[in-house]
Amino acid sequence: MKRPPISAARRIVIIGLGSYALATLLLGTGIFLAMHAAFSRQIDARIAQTSMTLQSEFSEDGVRGVVKALRQRKMSGPDALGFALFDGAGHRAAGDLVVALPAPGWQTIQFADPDEGADPARALVSDLGGGYRLVVAEDLTPLEEIDQTILAMFGLAFVALMGLGWAGLNLLARFLRQRLRSISQTADAIIAGDLACRADLGMHDDEFDRVAASLNAMLDRIAELIANLRQVTGDLAHDLRTPLSRLRHQLEALGAIEDAAQRRKRVEAAIANADEVLALFDAILRISEVEEGGLRPGFAAIDVSALIVDLGETLAPLVEESRRLLKVACEPELRVMGNRELLAQAVINLIENARRHTPEGAAIELRAGRRDDTVVICVADNGPGIPACDRERVQQRFVRLEASRSTPGHGLGLALVRAIARAHDASLALSDARPGLIAEIHLPSSCGVSQPSINSISRSPA
Amino acid sequence: MRVLLAEDDAETAAFVAQGLRALDHEVVAVGQGADALEQGMSGAFDVLVLDRMLPELDGLTVVKQLRAVGCKTPVLLLTALGRIENRVDGLDAGADDYLVKPFAFSELAARIHALGRRQAPASTVTRLQVGEIDMDLLARQVRRGGQLIMLQPREFRLLEELMRHEGQFVTRAMLIERVWNFHFDPQTKIVETHMSRLRAKLNEGEQPDLIETVRGAGYRIRPQ
Repeated sequence: MKRPPISAARRIVIIGLGSYALATLLLGTGIFLAMHAAFSRQIDARIAQTSMTLQSEFSEDGVRGVVKALRQRKMSGPDALGFALFDGAGHRAAGDLVVALPAPGWQTIQFADPDEGADPARALVSDLGGGYRLVVAEDLTPLEEIDQTILAMFGLAFVALMGLGWAGLNLLARFLRQRLRSISQTADAIIAGDLACRADLGMHDDEFDRVAASLNAMLDRIAELIANLRQVTGDLAHDLRTPLSRLRHQLEALGAIEDAAQRRKRVEAAIANADEVLALFDAILRISEVEEGGLRPGFAAIDVSALIVDLGETLAPLVEESRRLLKVACEPELRVMGNRELLAQAVINLIENARRHTPEGAAIELRAGRRDDTVVICVADNGPGIPACDRERVQQRFVRLEASRSTPGHGLGLALVRAIARAHDASLALSDARPGLIAEIHLPSSCGVSQPSINSISRSPA
Repeated sequence: MRVLLAEDDAETAAFVAQGLRALDHEVVAVGQGADALEQGMSGAFDVLVLDRMLPELDGLTVVKQLRAVGCKTPVLLLTALGRIENRVDGLDAGADDYLVKPFAFSELAARIHALGRRQAPASTVTRLQVGEIDMDLLARQVRRGGQLIMLQPREFRLLEELMRHEGQFVTRAMLIERVWNFHFDPQTKIVETHMSRLRAKLNEGEQPDLIETVRGAGYRIRPQ
C-alpha cells in the first residue's frame, strides 16, 4: 500500500520533536540516576557511622553499652534509623527493630514497621565478636518517595516541554509553508500564463527573500528573452510575408500567361523571390548557430593580415564599381584564434553595410592593427553614420533605421557581425568617425609562436 | 554518366532523377541506406548522390563504409543540415562535395558533372589550354594567342577553374568555394565583379568572348 506523502513541514515537526524528546529523556534519566545514587550514598554513610559508634560502645561496655547508647538516641528525638543486637543464640539482646537475623554485610532487608507493616530497609549487619551481631537499618520509604517526586516532576516537565516544542515546531512549519507557498503561487501563476507575476519579497533579506529575489531575477531574464523571441518571430513573419505574397501573386499570374518568354521571366522572378525567403532563413539560422557558440572547438590560428589583404583585393573592385573607394591598411603578422570564414563574413558584412549606407563618392577604409592585447579589425566610412542613441539597437536582429528603409536588406548584417564577434570573445563597437561610422571588432590576440595559417589550406574538391 | 541517387523523399528523387535523365545521365534511384551501400559497392557508378538522412543507414554512414572498403567513387552528400559542423562532418566522412537543400537543380547538375569528370590531381597538371588561351600554372601566366595577359590572383584562379572544367558549367557557389574557400553566400556580387574584370582583360581588343554566362546555371568556357 502506498503511504500518503508526508509534507516537509510535518517531517520537520516529527524529526524535531523526536530528537527533542530523546534529549529530554536522556537528561531526565541522567539526573534521576545521579540524585538516586547521591541519596543512597547519604543513607549508607549515616548507617556506617552509627554502626561504628555502636560497635565502639559494645567493645567498651558490651551489651549494656549498646542498650545505653540506644536509649540516649531515643531520648534525643525521633530516629530515622532502626537497631537490633542479636546474641550468639540468635535472640534479640537490644534494639526494637523487628527483623529476622540477617547474614553479615550490606543488604536490603524486610522489617516489620509498627505503622505500615513489612517495609524494605537498607541495613548493615556487623559481627561484634562473641556471636553478637549488630543490625543498623534505615527505612527506604523516604528515598522511594523522593524518587517518585523527581519522576513526577520530570514527567510534568516532559509533557510541558513536548507541548511547547510541538507548538513551536508547528509555528515554524507553518512559516515555512507560508513562505514556500508564496513562491509556488508565483510559479503556478506563471504556468497559468501570468508572466508578469513575481514572488513577494519580505523585508528581512533572509534565505527565503534571497530565493524569491533570484527567482524574480530569473523570471525577468526569461521575460526579456521571450520578448526578444517574440520580436524576432514577429519580424521574421513580417519579413517573410512580403516575398511570399509576391511569390504567390507571381504563381497565380503564371497560369494566365501564354507567351513562353513572358512565362520564363515570371518563373525566374518567382524563383528569385523563393531564394530571398531562403536567404532570409539562412541568415537567421546562421546567426543562431554562431550565437549558440558550439563552433569554438573548430577554431584555429588565423593569419588576420593575410585575410584582410585578401578581402581587400576581393572587395575593392565591388566597392569601386558602385563608385566608392576602398582603402586597405593592415599591420603584418596579426594572429588570432578563430574561424576564418566567419571573420571573413563579418568583414564582408561591415563593408557591404558601409557601401549601402554611404553616398556615391564615399571613402571606406578597412584597417587591421594591434592595440594593447587585442587585434582590431576596423571598417570606417565617411557617410552619414549612425546616431549614438541607435548604435546599440542597430546591432539587434531585424532592426533597420528609418534612413535605410529604402535600401534592400533585412537588418541582419550587423546582428551577424555581433554574433561572430561574441563567438570570438570579441566585441563589436560602433563609434563616430566625424563624419561617418567606425565599426571595430576587438579580437583577443593569440600572439604566440607563429603557427601555420589555415588560410592557405583548402578542403574544397577539384 | 551513371549516377546513383539515394534519396528517401520520393518527390525530390523523381524531380532530380528526371532532370538528370534529361541531361543524358543514367540514373538508378534507391530510397534506403542499405540499398545505396550495396549499389555503391558494385563500382558501376561514376557519381554517388546520397541524401544525408536516409532510413536506417544514414548517408554519412554509407560514405564511411564505402570508403572503409576502398570504394573511391566520388560522393556528393545532399542535406537539409546547413550548419558549419555538418559540412565538416560530411567531408570528414569521405564525401567529395556537399550540397545543402533546397538547391537549384542546375547547381546539383554542375556539381555532379564536375565530380564525374574528375581529371588528374591538380598538382600534376602544369599547363592548361583551351583554344587560344594558354595557362602556365607554374609561372602563373596567361596568354591569349601568344599575347601575355596580366591577371590579378583572383582572376587567375577564376580562369583556372573554368579551364579545368572546359565545356562544363561552374556555378557561382562552386567558384566562391573553390576560389575564395568560402562556404557561405556572401550576398554580394564578388563572383560577378571579378568575372567581368577577367572578361574585360581576356577580350581586350574586340576579341570574341570565350566565357559564357547562363543565368541560374553559372559560367563556362566554351569548348574549342
